[in-house]
Amino acid sequence: MNTMSDPILDIRGLTVTFGGGPKPVRALDGVDLALGRGEVIALLGESGSGKSVTLRSILRLHPPKRSRIEGSIKVEGIDVTSLEGRALESFRGKTVSMVFQEPMLAMDPVYTVGQQITEAVRNHEKISAADARARALEMLTLVRIPSPARRLAAHPHGMSGGMRQRAMTALALASKPRILRADEPTTALHAPVQVPILLLLRELQRELGLSMIFVTHDISVAVEVADRIAVMYAGRIVETGTVRDVIRTPRHPYTIGLLSTRAHGGRLEGHRLPAIPGSPPDLANLPPGCAFAPRCAIAADACRASVPEPIDLGSGHRVRCFRTAETVNKVAALAPAATS
Amino acid sequence: MVQAVAPAMIDDATIERSPGYWSTVWRRFRRDPVAMIALGVIVLLILMAILAPYIAPHDPFRGATLRRLRPPGTPGYLLGTDELGRDMLSRLIYGARLSLFMGVTPVFLALFIGSAIGITAGYVGGIVNTLLMRTIDIIFAFPSVLLAIALSGAMGAGIVNGLISLTIVFIPPIARIAESVTTSVRSLDYVEAARASGAGALSIVRKHVLGNVLGPIFVYAMSLIAVSMILASGLSFLGLGVRPPEPEWGLMLNTLRTALYTQPMLCALPGIMIFITSISFNLLTDGLRSAMDIKA
Amino acid sequence: MASDTVMTRAPAAAQATGSEPVRPLLEAADLVKHFPIKSGLLGRSNAVVRAVDGVTFSLYPGETLGIVGESGCGKSTTARVLMNLIKPDSGNVLLNGRAPGTPELSLKAFRSQVQMVFQDSYASLNPRLTVEDSIAYGPTVHGVSGSDAVRRARRLLDRVGLDPRRFAGRYPHELSGGQRQRVNIARALALEPKVIILDEAVSALDKSVEAQVLNLLLDLKEEIGLTYIFISHDLEVVRFIANRVMVMYLGRVAEIGPTDALYTGGRHPYTTALLGSMLSMDPDERTMEAPLAGDPPNPIDPPPGCRFHTRCSFAESVCSAKTPVLTVSGTGHFTACHMVDPGSGHSKAAA
Repeated sequence: MNTMSDPILDIRGLTVTFGGGPKPVRALDGVDLALGRGEVIALLGESGSGKSVTLRSILRLHPPKRSRIEGSIKVEGIDVTSLEGRALESFRGKTVSMVFQEPMLAMDPVYTVGQQITEAVRNHEKISAADARARALEMLTLVRIPSPARRLAAHPHGMSGGMRQRAMTALALASKPRILRADEPTTALHAPVQVPILLLLRELQRELGLSMIFVTHDISVAVEVADRIAVMYAGRIVETGTVRDVIRTPRHPYTIGLLSTRAHGGRLEGHRLPAIPGSPPDLANLPPGCAFAPRCAIAADACRASVPEPIDLGSGHRVRCFRTAETVNKVAALAPAATS
Repeated sequence: MVQAVAPAMIDDATIERSPGYWSTVWRRFRRDPVAMIALGVIVLLILMAILAPYIAPHDPFRGATLRRLRPPGTPGYLLGTDELGRDMLSRLIYGARLSLFMGVTPVFLALFIGSAIGITAGYVGGIVNTLLMRTIDIIFAFPSVLLAIALSGAMGAGIVNGLISLTIVFIPPIARIAESVTTSVRSLDYVEAARASGAGALSIVRKHVLGNVLGPIFVYAMSLIAVSMILASGLSFLGLGVRPPEPEWGLMLNTLRTALYTQPMLCALPGIMIFITSISFNLLTDGLRSAMDIKA
Repeated sequence: MASDTVMTRAPAAAQATGSEPVRPLLEAADLVKHFPIKSGLLGRSNAVVRAVDGVTFSLYPGETLGIVGESGCGKSTTARVLMNLIKPDSGNVLLNGRAPGTPELSLKAFRSQVQMVFQDSYASLNPRLTVEDSIAYGPTVHGVSGSDAVRRARRLLDRVGLDPRRFAGRYPHELSGGQRQRVNIARALALEPKVIILDEAVSALDKSVEAQVLNLLLDLKEEIGLTYIFISHDLEVVRFIANRVMVMYLGRVAEIGPTDALYTGGRHPYTTALLGSMLSMDPDERTMEAPLAGDPPNPIDPPPGCRFHTRCSFAESVCSAKTPVLTVSGTGHFTACHMVDPGSGHSKAAA
């Protein structure tokens, strides 16, 4: 299955169901994911794909009453699903930390950035206030915030969007986590501000050996930062591979469709975009077979009958599809000529 | 994009209709046991008020000095008699009429007037808003109890004057809610879109604003009914508003004061009725509010 | 079904080539809109947000004009001024040479010719009205009878790809984002306008749905002969759909011209920086440096002279002293930069 020898994060068979009652929603179905040390993996998908749920499950952020988690999540060999209370709390933030989409929502508006970082550090380590402050300054410098000493005394709302994102990253890194999770870290930012943040993330990976797993719906963000990409659809990972494999030789019809949808390269002026017809499925009413079959141009009866298991195409490139024979070298041509 | 259906077929085809907003609200409301009980109690009280002549065992005005202040359980007088020998049960039943009337009517009138003021201020904005709302604020600055007493006192006792003063007390809070809700709706994109299609203010208010604004205002007004009842009772207690010998719960609280030490149970009875009614209205509005909070 | 036909280029270029000049459909002349910031007891305003500060451009029939710029550049305010939803402080908007709100062109008639699709598909629809009622409202305002308006609404639903039998009686919260935007497009079409302004209309949609809606917009444009103004922060999408692009910065127009000219050879330093900040799709050719330093300054207190000079690597003393004007820098291509303006005093300007 997975050729990685010592992954820092190892998810096997993760299945998450929300709500009991007559219509439980199966947000994730048998997700297998391994994150290597110092590696960056991007979870790519649209709304309802389960990418955010996966991210949150790693820290067991779902309300236990209404959600059921099956499968195993191992971080550095420790099974997270069996942690409770204190152990779970210290695990969160210390080993695995998170950067959110909206920094304004993630940071407390009443306290200064310096105070928040200091508090975060002292929550997890027994160090003096002065040392914690020094660490805060070190973090702000690390994220390349201009005039870091001044920013310690600044409030989140007194900063621009890009700086807030950096401050939040500093906050997330303050307790020296091993794994950084990011949920759409640049979606709320405008294009020119996105680039520096993405460059920063790459630098952090290089300098700190940080392992990262982040969620995005924007393929180009994944291309810019990730070493590997996992494409998700309706709660399953449908394709995984190195970024080159997935972008240059995608083998799942959904991935191919997504890539053709982007009007990249030259202008296709006047030509219609190859669009995937239909819309993402209702997670409470998934079809019995492959969830993408209703929208797939090359779906066969086998596809509608049962869910495809992952097939290994070599060098860690795995696809959940029965029709991989048809998808070799078919990047743009396969995109269904859509009637919207 | 394919023209899936021939034009003629589209025009005549029957379309699936989703249940409207209020039917969805009613469905949700029905599933709330507390709210349904509260609704039941209120319906019972209203029925009691309407059917008073048929269910009251005695004439609420006929009293006899010999029968004064009999305790509850006296044969023939289930809940005892008051300080003038009148049957408590009958007076309580008849009392529902005036008490409910004094509770609901001022709020209803204030709803009408206050909404008109608030919606106009909210939609037009600018200087009109400032003028209207600051005037409203001046009235609102007076504590409602004092204002009601002052107005009633100035106009003299009596039901009509009591109604007028209570209505005036409730116009400002309703106007403020109306203005606030209207202002927030007005800035929403769909109102802008309606303006962009060339519609005039009146048409927009009628079609787009009212439907979205009256709901919250109505619920808020309902929560004021309990307050109104208590205020009206307070006014009658003080000798303003309803005058004897009319049966009204608040007035009964006043006139039964003399029995506080001899027959405390008698004094409590009108208070219990006020309590039950206002709690029911409050629970009803809570239930309505949750039912109306439909998250897409 | 138009799947591969190449559309004719907008006649934007025709204007400058000397052939029969095409009259602009919509013109914006020196639009200015400042928003006072209220402070103090009596709400006196000490500062203003210079949202739109002298915007001039023309829109030609049949084209799609893209407007791009960072947040705070004034593109949404410009759209609302064009729609007459906000009154400009100065400057005017002309439709076919006539100003709205004058005897020549009533406000109502103007409104029926210029329509808008907003970004938030949910907030754009009255939650208490069914889909068909929302679409039918506009026509009824203009005198169409109720039943005719409903008929028109249902036909439009079909046209935008939503089966009226399934959708006409539904409420907005029962629809997905993509479906709601289709309804918004149908609503915009209900008045049979000539111009549709799309203000970040596809930004909130999933990529696969976005592609569908973009295709729909292209089809409609061809079938009906519409003219679009497409405001977006997604530079890829603008590149795909627009014939001409206008780049705005802090309330002013920085550059305007044919799409290819701007994307491959922009003359304004901001244009090259902005359009160069599109992310790479090639894992071996990743973006290595940020094209633009710092964050956009506040529209409350814009820099003097050329507003971009604080972030511009070519800035010279003249840039903070004089405000550049839109100068011809190619066929149908105008740039507001001293480097392009001969005689501006900038060292790079042609004498």
